[in-house]
Amino acid sequence: MNGRMYKYLAAVAVVTACVLLYVGKRVAWFEDMMFPTWLSILVCVLIAASMFWILLRTIKGKPAERRTVFLYVGIAVSLPLLMTISVHVPISTEGQLLFDGMKRIQPGSKVLVSFDYDPPSAPELQPMAEAFMRYCFERDIKVIIIGLWPQGPQQANLALAKLLAEPAISAKNLVYGVDYVNLGFQSGNEFVIQRMGSDFKSMFPADYRGTPYDSLPLVGNVRNFSGIDYSFNLSAGYPGTREWVLIGVDRFGLVMGAGNTAVQTTGMYPYVRSGQLKGILGGMSGAAEIEELTERLGKGAKFMVAQSFGHMVMIVFIVIGNVAYFLHERKKKKA
Amino acid sequence: MHHIALWVAAFLTLGIISFLYRDNAWYKICESVFVGISAGYWFVSYFWDNLYGKLWLGVFPRDPAQQPDYILLIGGALGVMMLLRLIPKIGWLSRWPLAFIVGATAGLNLIIYFASNVMVQVEDTIRPLFGANYSSSAYDIVGNIVVAVGTFAALIYFFFSKEHKGAFGGAAKVGIFVLMVTFGASFGYTVMSRISLLLGRIDFLMGDWLGVIK
Amino acid sequence: MTRPATGCKSRTRMLWVAAIGLSVFLATPAISHSQTDTSSNRLLRDTIPPAPVTSLLASDRKYDNGEAIDLTWVPSIDDQLLHGKITAYQIFRSDNGGEFKKVGDAIPGDNQFSDESVSYGHSYVYYVVALTAGGRAESIRTASLIAEREWINYNRKYLFLIGFIIAGSVVYFIETARRGKKLFIRRIAGLEAVDEAIGRATEMGRPILFISGTQDMDNVQTIAGITILGHVARTIADYDTKIRMPVSRSLVMTAARETIKTSYLAAGRPDAYSDDMVNYVTDEQFGFVAAVNGIMVREKPATCFYLGAFFAESLIMAETGYSIGAIQIAGTAMPTQLPFFVVACDFTLIGEELFAASAYLSNEPKQLGSLKGQDVGKAIALAMMIIGTIAVTVGQAWDVEFMNNIAHWLNSAFKTN
Repeated sequence: MNGRMYKYLAAVAVVTACVLLYVGKRVAWFEDMMFPTWLSILVCVLIAASMFWILLRTIKGKPAERRTVFLYVGIAVSLPLLMTISVHVPISTEGQLLFDGMKRIQPGSKVLVSFDYDPPSAPELQPMAEAFMRYCFERDIKVIIIGLWPQGPQQANLALAKLLAEPAISAKNLVYGVDYVNLGFQSGNEFVIQRMGSDFKSMFPADYRGTPYDSLPLVGNVRNFSGIDYSFNLSAGYPGTREWVLIGVDRFGLVMGAGNTAVQTTGMYPYVRSGQLKGILGGMSGAAEIEELTERLGKGAKFMVAQSFGHMVMIVFIVIGNVAYFLHERKKKKA
Repeated sequence: MHHIALWVAAFLTLGIISFLYRDNAWYKICESVFVGISAGYWFVSYFWDNLYGKLWLGVFPRDPAQQPDYILLIGGALGVMMLLRLIPKIGWLSRWPLAFIVGATAGLNLIIYFASNVMVQVEDTIRPLFGANYSSSAYDIVGNIVVAVGTFAALIYFFFSKEHKGAFGGAAKVGIFVLMVTFGASFGYTVMSRISLLLGRIDFLMGDWLGVIK
Repeated sequence: MTRPATGCKSRTRMLWVAAIGLSVFLATPAISHSQTDTSSNRLLRDTIPPAPVTSLLASDRKYDNGEAIDLTWVPSIDDQLLHGKITAYQIFRSDNGGEFKKVGDAIPGDNQFSDESVSYGHSYVYYVVALTAGGRAESIRTASLIAEREWINYNRKYLFLIGFIIAGSVVYFIETARRGKKLFIRRIAGLEAVDEAIGRATEMGRPILFISGTQDMDNVQTIAGITILGHVARTIADYDTKIRMPVSRSLVMTAARETIKTSYLAAGRPDAYSDDMVNYVTDEQFGFVAAVNGIMVREKPATCFYLGAFFAESLIMAETGYSIGAIQIAGTAMPTQLPFFVVACDFTLIGEELFAASAYLSNEPKQLGSLKGQDVGKAIALAMMIIGTIAVTVGQAWDVEFMNNIAHWLNSAFKTN
């Protein structure tokens, strides 16, 4: 058999395995495939050993290929999901600041949650959204949802569906339009925020279901930001937290906390330092922080294990890469 | 239908990831599908959210109690003028809505950026380095000095009216050093973000699709 | 119902007597309040209506849009003396002489309320009701007050002054540049590489890939990218090099086509221009970068320019460009994306260097003047920060009043509200 045949056979084997796993899960041949502790440790040792072997090969002048790095990162991120390891995420100063602000929200207060992200950023921001809204619902805090990104309100609906199915929140018999409302998406970026400062209704004449604004008891007497007690912004880019701070906070005095993707969190720290933002959650670790603070661990905490493994693998490869670089430079100098 | 959707999503996800191995037909199919669907999605989204949702329903509201907002017709007219780009003889008309967009955004952003990103940040940078009566801890003092010196040096780096020579050049070098440290920190955060995106997809593949994790 | 002032005073005296009596009773040692508080005392206390709030004052909030009135009052004597007797305060308002309606609540101990549901030009009258379990007491009504809007917010006078100085500098330098005076801009590393990179692409017979960011024409970085595109297009028109420019916004496609066409015209090569040089892909961020990656891998451009506003797609593009061996020149003012360009590209224009490069290459008076004017702003900010930091550090460390005053003045000058 030539190489091509092996590739075809390998592809067929992989597809067959996927079909078997898919069918097996559906007919409940197995619950899940979590590793026992000894297997988790064995896997970690094997990966560490193989990376040490790569380092040795690099020193010998045979650097690893880029595809090897991709493979190791993929393994480092996938396998920990099968392990029963947990990681304690220390709470950052900014995360604690956000939570302290949340604790000051009184029952019955109206909170504006702006969903300014789309599905690609959901792994980081969806756990934050769920944790925050769960906290609100458990304490009878009213939630008004809007979105400056088209898919934002849809992400909000996914979070709402999950939360309303939880026993503790289901028992509260929350009523749409009274305890929470989704006003939907509005295009216009920062101009929407500017206009909301004087008139919410002009930007959201109806909610995402088409119910007129005035018919919704929760927002019927909310004219502008002065009717909002706290705002939480979930942002993955533009328009997002920066626009909310520049207009909502600085111009209209909104009290605001934020959850951002890790990419843009560093850019928001000056706003936290100056007090414009009352705390911020950054990326997956921010999601894990709020889950820990609200005492309900979810996907944020679960994913931090895989995140940490991924980081460790990358750090090792950075070291290996630097070793390769300096050896290469030395060889060049000798030559 | 749900099963088909899962397998299609898995096919597309793995197809895009296959690019890491090398460019191949599977990736090309997935790329074309993604580009086409996303262009179509945005077209539909803009049509229903803006043209219909804002313009049409704003001028001809469904609710009889709601007053028509005729000022939206000006926006509609500007939008039509944009499309006149396709007719070469009167294509110059498309410059007007372009000027409107650029001008309106500049006008709004001028004050808000200046107030929030300059004035407030300058005010916040003016902080006592050692605290009142030397009350700050050593950690805070070092932090305050780093922030102050870093801010000043980075500002000097971006000063374009003077050549970077002598003491000024030295300060600019400190500035670029501070910037590189900042970029490193930002890079680290972004790596976390990228791993998170990958985790989301792997969670879908291993959880929703294959069911090997809860 | 309005209470007469005299009636209010005699009730207050009564309550003082009751309070003093209760205090004497409480002062008896080893007897706790809970042991001696008989049900008859509680009943007596609960059935006595409270004293109303006094000195109720309504004032129109300054420098707003006529949408806020602030109320202050002295809390009820019962709030201060007998803890827990006042359960709440309610604020009532009459709009343009109409019926009084409740507009808000305040908790015991509060002495202020902001009514932000008023409308400009309407006249309002307020009163506050103090509530207990046993009754309620209304305060005297305020005088009629009209919610005014002001034209000018004097809290922002320093914002205006500094903005005026910077804007004035920009205008001054633009006029200076227009009159032909050469404005000095320091050398920017990476700009020399632009022509070299184009030359490399010409020698290799491979196209140039130009990405002017993923944002729309309302973003100033996109405008800077398009300006540099003009310079690049003039050079490639001279060298007869191919250019590929996928865009993710239709407006940018329009502007880019015009820019390239103008450059080809200026180079005397209008026949060589084709609309296919610039093509719209999709607004979707990752869809766009998937297409760009495909172009890079298939067409293998020799030079890649990334000049504009980028988000998460920046690293994907730069990484792919690195893998195909292209020279990469990047420039963005997005601080979160600069690390990737710095790492993966051969030359990076950091932040404002993108705008400086745009001004430098175009030699346009408006851009040059803007850059110089901004330098004035930076100089002012830097000077204020240095003076302020020294003043507040010395002032607070050694308690020097003069320095503290300088620092306080600077802090208040840069406050925007």
